[in-house]
Amino acid sequence: MRKSLMNTQTKIAVMLIVAFLAIIMLFSGWVYFAIPGFLHDYYYDVLEIRAVAAGKMELDKDQRGLDDLRSVFSEKLMHEQDYFFKIEKNKDFKNEADSLGIPLSFFETALNEGGARYQDKQLFYVAVVYPSKQGNYVIVSQAQDYFEESFVAYLKKTLVAAIIIAFCVSLFIAVYYSKYIFKPLREITEKVQQISSENLHLRLDSRNSNDEMDELIHTFNDMLNRIETAFETQNNFISNASHELRTPLTAIIGEADVALSKDRTPEEYKTSIKVMLEEAEKLDAKTNALLSLAQTGFNGKIQRFERLRIDQLIWDVKNTVEKLNPKCNLHIDTSLLPEDPMKLMIKGNEQLLHLALANIIANACKYSDNQKVNVSLGASDDHVVIVVKDKGIGIPADELKYIYDPFFRASNTKNYAGYGIGLPLTRNIIKMHQGKISVSSLQGGGTTVQLTIPAWRRIDE
Amino acid sequence: MEKNVLIPTDFTIESLNVVKSVLNDRPYECRYNIILLHGVQMSDSITDLLFYSKAKMLESLSNRHFDEACGVIRNKYASGINSMRVDLFNGSSQAAFDGYLLGNRIDEIYVPGRYRLRTSNKKSVNVLPYIRKCGKPVISVDWNMEVVLPEKGSLAEIFYNEATA
Repeated sequence: MRKSLMNTQTKIAVMLIVAFLAIIMLFSGWVYFAIPGFLHDYYYDVLEIRAVAAGKMELDKDQRGLDDLRSVFSEKLMHEQDYFFKIEKNKDFKNEADSLGIPLSFFETALNEGGARYQDKQLFYVAVVYPSKQGNYVIVSQAQDYFEESFVAYLKKTLVAAIIIAFCVSLFIAVYYSKYIFKPLREITEKVQQISSENLHLRLDSRNSNDEMDELIHTFNDMLNRIETAFETQNNFISNASHELRTPLTAIIGEADVALSKDRTPEEYKTSIKVMLEEAEKLDAKTNALLSLAQTGFNGKIQRFERLRIDQLIWDVKNTVEKLNPKCNLHIDTSLLPEDPMKLMIKGNEQLLHLALANIIANACKYSDNQKVNVSLGASDDHVVIVVKDKGIGIPADELKYIYDPFFRASNTKNYAGYGIGLPLTRNIIKMHQGKISVSSLQGGGTTVQLTIPAWRRIDE
Repeated sequence: MEKNVLIPTDFTIESLNVVKSVLNDRPYECRYNIILLHGVQMSDSITDLLFYSKAKMLESLSNRHFDEACGVIRNKYASGINSMRVDLFNGSSQAAFDGYLLGNRIDEIYVPGRYRLRTSNKKSVNVLPYIRKCGKPVISVDWNMEVVLPEKGSLAEIFYNEATA
C-alpha cells in the first residue's frame, strides 16, 4: 500500500515535469524557428534594396537617388558583392552561374518572376531585374549575414539556459506539489493503519478545511461508525440469542431433574411434562422466528413477487390479528385512500408482507393495551404509504436506534411478552420490497410506524 | 365548475391541512386549480440573478416528505383537483401581488388561522400581509394544534393532523 502511494506521488511529479517541459520546449522551439525565418526575410529585403541601389549607382549614375541611398546604406555589408549582367535575347546565364557557383535556376526564376533569392551556406544571393537606361539588367547581390549568425547562436544559448533553469524550477515545483498533495493522504493511511478490531472507537481527526480530504476523513469516520455498530450488533446478537435459547432449555432441564429426583405420582409427571412441553414450544417458536429472520435477511434467495393490492392485504391482516387477539381495537382509516384503486397496487410477496404487517399491527395492539390502533393508507405517485399509529407506551428516545437489533427490547417492555425478533424481521421484509420503514415515538405518547413501499407501475412488467 | 385557489405554504406537512380541509369541504362537481404559494425575496446580487432558476429554488426549499404528501393528497382528491402546483412569489409590493393574483386568475385565498407559517429559509418572505390587503375573498382554516404527534415532520403526519375548519 505504501509503495503504490509513493508511485502515485512520483507519477504526479513526473506528469507535472513532462507537462512543464512540453510547454517550454514548444515555446522555445517556436521562438527558435520563427525568429531566424523573420530575420532571413528581412535580410533578403535589405539585399534587394541594395541591389536596386547599386544598379542605380552603377548603371544609371542617378545622382539624386544616389545621394538618398548613400545616406541610408553608407557602409557595405559583410562580403557584399554586386554583379551586373545585361539581359540579351537567347542568352543563358550558364557561364555566370558557374562563375558565381550558384545554380542556373536562380537566374531563370529571376528572369521569369523579376527577382530571386538563394542561400548558399552563409552567403545570401538576391537577383533583381533592373530596367536601366542602358537596357534591362540582372543585378545579383551577394552578402553574408553575420548579424543573424551571431544572433541565432546567442538565441540558442539563451534558450538552452532557459530550458535548464525552467526544468530545475519545474522539478522543484512538481516534487514539492506532489508531496504537498499527498501529505494528508499519508497521514490518513497512517491513522487508519492504527485502527483494528480492538480499538474501533478511534476516529480520524478532522482538519476543518472543508476540502476533499476532509470529506474523505468524514467518510472514513462514518464508515467506522457503521462498522462499530455492526460489530456491537453482532456481539449482542450472539449473546442475546444464546441467552434466549438457553432460558427454555434451563427450564426443561430443571423440570426434568426435579421430576426424576424421586418417584412421583402420574399427575405430578403429567404436570412436569406439560411444563416441559410449554418450554419446548417456546424454544420452537424462537428458533422458527430466528430461521425466518435469517431467511429474509439473506439476499441470494429468490422470492416470488406478484402484483397485489395493499388495501386487500390490510383487511386480511386485520382479520388475522383479530383472530389472534380478539380484544384488539383496530381502526382502518381510509380518509386519504386514493380515488384510483390502481394506485394501491404494489409488487410484492403476499405471505412476507402479511407477516410484516401483522407483526407491526399486533405490536401496536400489544403495547397500547388494546387501545385504539389506527391503520392509515395512502398513495403518492411513486409510493404506497401505510401508517400504523398507536397510543401505547412508546419507545424511549435514546433506545430508538436499537429497535432493529435482533433480541433488543426497550427498557419499558418488561410487562409484555416477546423476544425482539419481530421488528428486525419486518425491516428485512420491507427492505426486500425496496421499501422503507421509519418509526417515530414519544415515550408514553404512542408510536407511529410508517411504511413506504414502491408502487407497482405498468412499465415494470 | 372550476376554481383557482391560492394557498400559502411553508413546505411543512402541517401547512397542507389547509389544502385537505378545502378539498374536504368542496361543493359537488367543483374542480380546483390549486397554487401553493411561497414568498421568496429576490437576491440583490447580479450573479445570483444571472443564475437564478425557479426550479432549483423550489427544489432547495421543498423536501421529499412534502412532495410525497402532495402526491397523496392529489391521489386522494383526484376528482376534485384539476391541477396543483407549488409556486414562488418574487415580488415585494402589493401591486406585484395583485398582479400575480390577476395573472393567475385567483378566485379565492385560503390561509391557516392560528398556525403560523414558518419562514425557515433566509430568503423566505411572509406573504400574509399582501393577502390581507388584496381584496379577494380570504378564508381562514383552523385545526387542532395542541396534540403532540410523535410523527411530526414525517410523511405520516399527513394522515393525522385533522382539520377542524
